Amino acid sequence: MTKPKISSDWMCGCAGCHMSLLDIDEIIIKVAELADIRSTPITDLKEPDAGGVDVGILEGGIANSSNEEVAHRMRSRAKILVALGDCAVFGGVPAMRNFCGIEAALRRGYVETESTDSEGRIPDDPELCVQQKVRAVHEVVPVDLFVPGCPPEAEVIAYVLTELAQGRKPEISGDKLHWH
Amino acid sequence: MVSLTIDGKRIEVPEGTTVLRAAQSAGIEIPTLCDHPELTPYGGCRLCLVEVEGIRNPQPSCTLPASNNMVVQTNTPKIKEARKFVLTLIFSERNHFCMYCQVSGGDCELQNAAYREGMTHWPLQPNWQGYQVDASHPYIIIDHNRCILCRRCVRACGELVGNFTLGFEERGAQSLLVADIGTPLGESSCISCGTCVQVCPTGAMIDRWSAYRGKETQLDHTTSICVGCSLGCGVDLQTRDNHVVRVYGDWENPVNEGILCEVGRFKPMVEKNQRVNVPLVKKNGSLKAATWEEALNTVANALKSSANQTAALISTRLNTESINAFSQIFRDGLKASIVTSLEEGKFTPSGAQKEGTLADIDQADVILIAGEDLTRDHQVLGFAAKRANSRGSKLVVLNAETDGLDAIAAVSLKPKKGAEGEVFSALTSALAGSISEETCKKTGVSLADLNLAAEVLKNARKAVVVCGKEISNQPMSSKLLFTLASKLDAAVVLPKGGANSLAAARQNLDQSFSLNGEKAVFVALGDDTPSQRLLKKLEGVPFLAVQASYYSPLTAQADVVFPVTAWGEETGHYVNYADVLQETKACLTPSEEVWSNLSVLQGLAGKLGINLEG
Amino acid sequence: MKAYRSMVLVSSDPSSIARGAQEVYQALQAELEKFGLVDEVTLSMVGDIGRHDAAPLVIVYPEAVIYGPVKPSDVPFLVEEHLYKGRIASGLQASVRELSGRIAWISARKGTLPAEKRIVLERAGIIDPTSIDEYILHDGYIALGRVLSEMTPLQVIEEIEKSGLKGRGGAGFPTGTKWKFVSRAQGSKKYVVCNADESEPGTFKDRLILEGDPHSILEAMAIAGYAVGANEGYIYVRGEYKLAQERLAIAIHQAEEMGFLGENIFGTNFSFKVHIHSGAGAYICGEETALLESIEGRRGEPRPRPPYPTTNGLWNKPTLVNNVETLANITPIIRNGGAWYRSIGTPSSPGTKVYTILGKVNATGLIEVPMGITLREVIAIYGKGMKNNASFKLAQTGGSSGSIIPATLQDTPMDFDSFNRAGVSLGSGALLICDEDTCVVDLARVLVNFFRVESCGKCNPCRIGTQRSYEILTAISEGLGTMKDLEYLQTLSDNMNLLSNCGLGQTSGTPLRDVLKYFRAEVEAHIKLKVCPSGICPMSGHIS
Repeated sequence: MTKPKISSDWMCGCAGCHMSLLDIDEIIIKVAELADIRSTPITDLKEPDAGGVDVGILEGGIANSSNEEVAHRMRSRAKILVALGDCAVFGGVPAMRNFCGIEAALRRGYVETESTDSEGRIPDDPELCVQQKVRAVHEVVPVDLFVPGCPPEAEVIAYVLTELAQGRKPEISGDKLHWH
Repeated sequence: MVSLTIDGKRIEVPEGTTVLRAAQSAGIEIPTLCDHPELTPYGGCRLCLVEVEGIRNPQPSCTLPASNNMVVQTNTPKIKEARKFVLTLIFSERNHFCMYCQVSGGDCELQNAAYREGMTHWPLQPNWQGYQVDASHPYIIIDHNRCILCRRCVRACGELVGNFTLGFEERGAQSLLVADIGTPLGESSCISCGTCVQVCPTGAMIDRWSAYRGKETQLDHTTSICVGCSLGCGVDLQTRDNHVVRVYGDWENPVNEGILCEVGRFKPMVEKNQRVNVPLVKKNGSLKAATWEEALNTVANALKSSANQTAALISTRLNTESINAFSQIFRDGLKASIVTSLEEGKFTPSGAQKEGTLADIDQADVILIAGEDLTRDHQVLGFAAKRANSRGSKLVVLNAETDGLDAIAAVSLKPKKGAEGEVFSALTSALAGSISEETCKKTGVSLADLNLAAEVLKNARKAVVVCGKEISNQPMSSKLLFTLASKLDAAVVLPKGGANSLAAARQNLDQSFSLNGEKAVFVALGDDTPSQRLLKKLEGVPFLAVQASYYSPLTAQADVVFPVTAWGEETGHYVNYADVLQETKACLTPSEEVWSNLSVLQGLAGKLGINLEG
Repeated sequence: MKAYRSMVLVSSDPSSIARGAQEVYQALQAELEKFGLVDEVTLSMVGDIGRHDAAPLVIVYPEAVIYGPVKPSDVPFLVEEHLYKGRIASGLQASVRELSGRIAWISARKGTLPAEKRIVLERAGIIDPTSIDEYILHDGYIALGRVLSEMTPLQVIEEIEKSGLKGRGGAGFPTGTKWKFVSRAQGSKKYVVCNADESEPGTFKDRLILEGDPHSILEAMAIAGYAVGANEGYIYVRGEYKLAQERLAIAIHQAEEMGFLGENIFGTNFSFKVHIHSGAGAYICGEETALLESIEGRRGEPRPRPPYPTTNGLWNKPTLVNNVETLANITPIIRNGGAWYRSIGTPSSPGTKVYTILGKVNATGLIEVPMGITLREVIAIYGKGMKNNASFKLAQTGGSSGSIIPATLQDTPMDFDSFNRAGVSLGSGALLICDEDTCVVDLARVLVNFFRVESCGKCNPCRIGTQRSYEILTAISEGLGTMKDLEYLQTLSDNMNLLSNCGLGQTSGTPLRDVLKYFRAEVEAHIKLKVCPSGICPMSGHIS
């Protein structure tokens, strides 16, 4: 039996969910035994195999056209798509900007920051991706498994990965269910 | 009794019980949000829906009266779906993103409900409309973004406190919690009792002193009482790392049934007095740190030499154990010339035919409140009067000064100071006869007002009389008020004074005093605040010893200061206004050199060679 | 009161007044005097009697000739020709195309007077609503007299039950049964409440009754009071209906003066007092329990049920709440008997129904027709066909909480049972007729928007559900919808119906349900093809 392939990617998030993934410590070795860890932001391979992976994991909300592309690519290549962490599941902290609008958020970030001098301006290079209202992953592509948490606890991630690596669908409830 | 079946369980409940309460009584849990045990059922959130045999639509169990042979299911797939749907809608309404909320992780009933239903995500996003946060209030913050519009706060404000500050404006999705007519809370008619914060199921109403300092679920809870006044309201003292983080009302305590006033709920949070941490003895004109041994000896020697030319004063905020030790030392042991409490007055006149409590106010249809503004003192009694008024009870207010209840009183009498007794006797005679013009002149109250008051009292089915401190301090006036009360067959509520007023009075410690060449004065102040009057009276006494928790002008005047524990650090008993014996419990540890009030008195007794009993 | 040869009515609705009805009335008075016709011809100002294109209208009975718009300068010719010489004043007649509602109906029947099945509107537009004498002359207060002198309360209820009358407020609950519930409820103090908070968009039947025949409601309330054991009544009138409130106040005053209301009516020991309570613009106060809250002085929010108003109503006392149109049926039933009433309409839904016809038909307005008429008939006969010969696409009944009736159901008899069986509802009696130019997404969006704004906000399914539905429909109308949205609209519609607290919340998802049921393909076109087939929706959105 060939080992299931797992890929992950991040979009608009803080990388904390991937940090929490690394917090599973030695279990990563077990996961690596059970599964074939392919592209991730912390491995050399950067894109999921064109031929497809079994499990695709996404961290972060979808805040711009580039994120959107990442989500569509992962969805099209993964059999099971996992939304990892509150940003991927709900929109999370990045989605706070939806309450004030992109324009105001960019202005606050690039122009009005206390540390910004009078030169501060909103980047407008035409090659930059287009900012959008921040959306949760499931608003853009269908999601098979939601693992909320900010970040999800390492134990929960370990459980999810080992279950998925063995071809089972993890059950996120009870002690494993946290949105905070 | 009606008998119904819930989840296959046969349950008997009294008629009028809701299905929700019936289920709870049988240990069947139904999730709720807008429901609160102390509030009138509302039926708004629709989380408590159950299936009832023979009814097509799921029914809200919180408002549905149980009826005979009703068959109820609380956990069918249809109900679970409905609950998830309702929660999905609530999460989609405003900013319910948990990652940046202070109550997330145990204190949020909305989040808990979602966990209970195993929701890993919500299918609908909000429309990202932001709301202004109202931070205009000194204690309370309203974050509309977190509001689920359950109206618990609105009901609590009206039903429990009778204040009706909170309400809703607009309708539909535009519905918004408002104070008064959309006034910022800090400028509104809010009286800062904080009940709204205590009942809020989410992070929509938080108190700024405790926010982000620890969740209810992480804090240590101690059931104690407030010693702010004689009512002795039950509190749930929430502490962490030896600090009070939050004070909630204790729903289980029959004295206040969970309701607190500003003093009880927020004062412990905002008071920032400097603690006395070591014994202090005056040397060369200034207070210097000393050992307990030195301090106790200094005081004992001074008291020994002044002997019966001693004045001893104790705060009624101190517990009964301390008061007993105090009176044994100074009255029985030293036979001091003055032994009394800092209240300096008689607030516990006897002679009322029957004494009443807050519950009597709640049940009365006419409430005569004399000589005390219950919106300032003993406020929780005032809440009872106000909520009774909102249910139709009439208030007759008698106060020489402006009274906070004037506005809602059926009649407000403003007699000349000292003429209160005349008014009482006039009203007593008016119950059978009429009122003379002369009375009006003497009392300064118009005939129309007197007649109106008499009319209201005459028509009372169940009257209650509150005898405030301005009256209870005057033996003649109180007697006349008691006569009126007995004619009305009304219970008399005597709010008395401080937390242990009644215990002090029983030790005869309710005499007013003036110094008459006493050589030494001992003040057991505890965590009380000395009044200007007291400071003036004690100016220039030859020797002054004070046991106090905080630095104050009084400690500055003192020759010796004993550092003592404050509320929350000491376990002890209190007798409240209605003669209910209650206990404060220690849940904070004082610093090493700080002794309890009782320990200080015991130490002193030892030095004086006085044996303490009991 | 003496008999007249002719009766002349002048319309006095606001637009008639604006266009000089008062002057026309004065000119008529002067001319009648000039021709010495004062004793032969009676002249009255009456309320709103139809669409206003031809206002002010002058109607001359018994010929039922309708003139309009009439200018004061037309009056001498009109009086001389019609009332003096007895022939139609040519050139002044209102064109049939400009007529609508009952006027058109009368007109269509070429002078037969009155139209066959006017029960509820039997007097509206014919008598002077401010004259109790005219009401009495038209059989007014006969029913009350009969009830008080000849019938026991139980007999009254039996008669109503026998008639088979069902509530006209929208739910179609049997009126007699409701009366029986209240009469059996424990308690010495009971109330009768008339729900005149007519707020359904496009519905104005109650207003015509109140403005044109206020005494009929007072009489019916007194009868209801006698039957159920109540001695006090409230009429909760929509705040915007100022004229209705004025006329009711006049009517109450007159009835009290003549002893038809007040203490010891007709010398019996039955007393009945009626109060008017004005609404303040909230749609939700048309819901009976919210209405009761509003009368009691609180925010208009529906109460939980049970308990029902029949046992715990106004001030927690047993209360009978009936709609205006329902009450307007009471006196005819008492006068003519329940059996007579049952002979009209269909067996399961006896009587007539008043409809307001709106939308893309040639004649809009108010009609009263027997229950069981079909939509096709309404459009063809009373609507005078679709405007511009367009094809009929759908009709929307009963304001916003009504159903959307597709063309395929236009031959379904319009009565409570037949509509129920077809899975649609009769609603409050508005018929918004739409042609192919109407986009169902847009229609649903407009209807849901109404609910979104008018939801009281008490319960989550209605408050949030309407808001989310509106947003999803808006997204679809902008071309941003997804197929998942459709699923969610269905869930929202189903659950608003299942889980909401009151009837209004429960029906607020009906437009969605019907659109998805009958016009799904059209909605899907918006999503999959990003096209609005009717060319109404903007379809111009982008994610921002």
